Amino acid sequence: MDNEQATFWLSQFIGKNLRIHASDGRVFGGQMKCTDKDCNIILSLAYEYRAPSLEAIRKPIEESGNSSAKVTWNSRYVGLVVVPGKHVKKIEFEESTLPGQKSGITL
Amino acid sequence: MADSFHRHSTASPQDADAVSSHDGAGPFHVNITNATPQTNLPLRQAFRQPICAPEPKIHDITEKFLKASNALEVGQLVKDDYFTLFESIGAIEILDPKMDSGFLKPGETLEDDYDTSRSLLPEEIIGIMDQLLCYEMAWHTGYPLSQTLFTSVYIDKLLWPEPKTLEQSQFFPNGESAHGPSAQSLLQVLRAYCLALIKGCDYVILKITSRDYFEEEDFCTQTYNRVLFVSTPMDVFLRELDAAVEVMEDTNFEIKDALRSAIISRLKFRQDFLRALDLDHPLEHMSSSWSPVLSGITTIKATHQLGQSVPGAFSTKMQRRLASTVPPRPIVEFDFKDALDLLEHICVDCEEATRFIDLPQDPLEYQSFLWTFASRLPAPLVYSRSYLSTLMFHPEILNTAVSLPLADVKTLVFPASLVLDPINWTLPPPRNPLLPKPPRLQLAMLIDEFVDRSGQPYLDLWVALSQNRCRLRRMLSHVITAWDLLQADASLVDTDLASAASELSITDQILEFSLSTWVYHKKLWMIEKVILLGFEQDIYLPDEFSGMHLFLSLIVTRRRELLTRIQTHHRTRHTQLLRERKLRLANEVAEAAPYLDSLAAEATGTAALSLALARFYMIAAYCGLLPVPKRPFSTESLRYELRMKPFLAVQPPEVPPFEDFKAHTQPYGPYTSPDPGFAADLRNERSELWAEVDGNVKAAKDAFTELKRLGAGAAKSQGVEKAWGKEVQNLLASCVALGVASAGVKDAVRKAGDAGDPKGLDIRAEIPDSGAKKRYAEGWIVVKIVKEA
Repeated sequence: MDNEQATFWLSQFIGKNLRIHASDGRVFGGQMKCTDKDCNIILSLAYEYRAPSLEAIRKPIEESGNSSAKVTWNSRYVGLVVVPGKHVKKIEFEESTLPGQKSGITL
Repeated sequence: MADSFHRHSTASPQDADAVSSHDGAGPFHVNITNATPQTNLPLRQAFRQPICAPEPKIHDITEKFLKASNALEVGQLVKDDYFTLFESIGAIEILDPKMDSGFLKPGETLEDDYDTSRSLLPEEIIGIMDQLLCYEMAWHTGYPLSQTLFTSVYIDKLLWPEPKTLEQSQFFPNGESAHGPSAQSLLQVLRAYCLALIKGCDYVILKITSRDYFEEEDFCTQTYNRVLFVSTPMDVFLRELDAAVEVMEDTNFEIKDALRSAIISRLKFRQDFLRALDLDHPLEHMSSSWSPVLSGITTIKATHQLGQSVPGAFSTKMQRRLASTVPPRPIVEFDFKDALDLLEHICVDCEEATRFIDLPQDPLEYQSFLWTFASRLPAPLVYSRSYLSTLMFHPEILNTAVSLPLADVKTLVFPASLVLDPINWTLPPPRNPLLPKPPRLQLAMLIDEFVDRSGQPYLDLWVALSQNRCRLRRMLSHVITAWDLLQADASLVDTDLASAASELSITDQILEFSLSTWVYHKKLWMIEKVILLGFEQDIYLPDEFSGMHLFLSLIVTRRRELLTRIQTHHRTRHTQLLRERKLRLANEVAEAAPYLDSLAAEATGTAALSLALARFYMIAAYCGLLPVPKRPFSTESLRYELRMKPFLAVQPPEVPPFEDFKAHTQPYGPYTSPDPGFAADLRNERSELWAEVDGNVKAAKDAFTELKRLGAGAAKSQGVEKAWGKEVQNLLASCVALGVASAGVKDAVRKAGDAGDPKGLDIRAEIPDSGAKKRYAEGWIVVKIVKEA
């Protein structure tokens, strides 16, 4: 991929919702605003999502006896954040299109 | 991928088993990530999908994204066109321990392991309650909730997850503690206390945000997406507290009597405090709502030592759970004694503010009250100030028949004047709109026009007066500019008034340019206050004292001249009315006299005292008694321009040109090397130099004595009579202190003899600090002359 292609491809995601998995397991969901060579990503209007602790997972399972009991993830609003490239473990694109509508993004 | 958008994650049994087989200290954080099925990521907890909207598809683009970004040049940014560098500075860096409040150190857990269902000793209940009070007060001084009350594990439990009803707001699920009923009842008591505390915070935020305040400068209203029981009415909380009191009063409940009454008094205090904070408190009960709180404080103070602190009940970790766009910050440490002092301070100030309700209905009384309230020491906190301004703008209070600016105008320039005769407003306009309106109707319409125009500047002045002192000074200089424009408009109305008056041939009954005179008078008063506030807030350096006092005296002298003109007019009018045997009107004019006399006495005194100080500080500067800082990069004229900046655009009064100013403040040449004339005048106690100091001190003293004799009623400060009396007394004391200081310098000059160097006097000048009660009046800096040991 040359620079021009890369720039074009990346700029498709500006203003689109991304989910970034950070190295400590948290996930940040928000609109992409900016990225650079080191894959530092700035998200605006971001929410932080954190997996429930082991304790919190174990408890409802023990109580209900149901091994697929539901456990809530913790989330909170964090606003504008930058995820440093070295902590980016996974990037997901959240595509929301109406049925029949074609998304204009080349994946 | 179909059900990938649930709000819940499913933990597989294997994972759970794997977890339990790990014993304690294992690498837990590793397991956490493993235990999470990676596809089931819930985003947007509050997300409600519209019925027909499709579920978004999730694409893993990691690999390509990394490859693409790698292909970018160093320094190249792919970014939103509207995203600025400035905006990017505000971004929080994830996984930076100093920025990211969600960052966990290895082995650290998110949840605090403090168990809110554990049983507490009564001593611990007291300890927690008192600690909560400390944080509440810290919040009142301007710290955010995240660093104060929201660090409490108990408060957090009550507010999150957001309870739908008050019953859901519990320390533990279903409101049942695993530790037996006795533990439960004490926790219920603590819960009632916390609930009332939270509701109190809600009232405080609503009160403050309803008035002019500055977020984060005055106060932080941020609640981090927590709802402080906004829609639950107060009596629900009072009932919870009542129930808690009943629990405590139950004789079957075994507890030491001292502890029992200590807890009960805290619960009762919460009730009283919540009632006092209530937004819908009826006006007639407001003044009596603070004394129960004040008496509650005494009991809390006396029983504080019974408490036992529970350090685990508060934790900075709570911040990780708050919706927050700011980095983590430490818990604010606040001493219990300081907290109680602050609480008392709030109560006393609010109680004082309720006296506003009973003031005589007169804008000038209101103005004195606002000024005095803002001058209180220690300075009222933002809550007390909002409390007062809520009262001030209360519809029942401002519901006067006459508009406030008009009442103010009337007192100064239109007592018993035909211009404000109510009959003017009853005249019908001519049927034919082309015909001229009757002149009396014209008068009424002109006055209406002016009242409309002056409403906003008048309100601005009041809003400025209800800010804190530092902002008051800054805001006043803006208000002055607005009044300057008003004065220009007023003079236009004045011309029309004059032509209507000449049609009625009553020109001699109306003060020339009455409306602009009123505006000008008010404007000059504000300029004086700005300068005095500058002295109070140590804006001016000691070597500038002379110049600023000179400018002050110039301004006050202008005001004095205006007043003389008004007084003369009123006096002629009075005699004229007496001659015409219009006794009722004559009487009305005479009634306006004491206020004008009081204003005149105050202006005379202020002008004389400031001139005396200007001269005295000039002498002190020539004698080298005042410290002069090194200023390698500024010139005198630039400094002068800076000081005069707020008034440069205003006219009248015009700021004197720098040359004039310099000639008057440095008549003997530069301070460092005065010409020989200075030494001669200094030694000659009958010289004009000394006469200007001593003569003016005497004149000021006489004027202030007269002001005192006329009394608070004449000064339209009846509502604040005591504070007013003290203020005048302080002015007199400042005069005396200046007399003493000037005698001290003279004495030293005499001792030095004819050959003595004016710069080598055996004395030094001590400048009293502001706010340390070392000045008689905060706005008047009078140095103390001390003999060099």
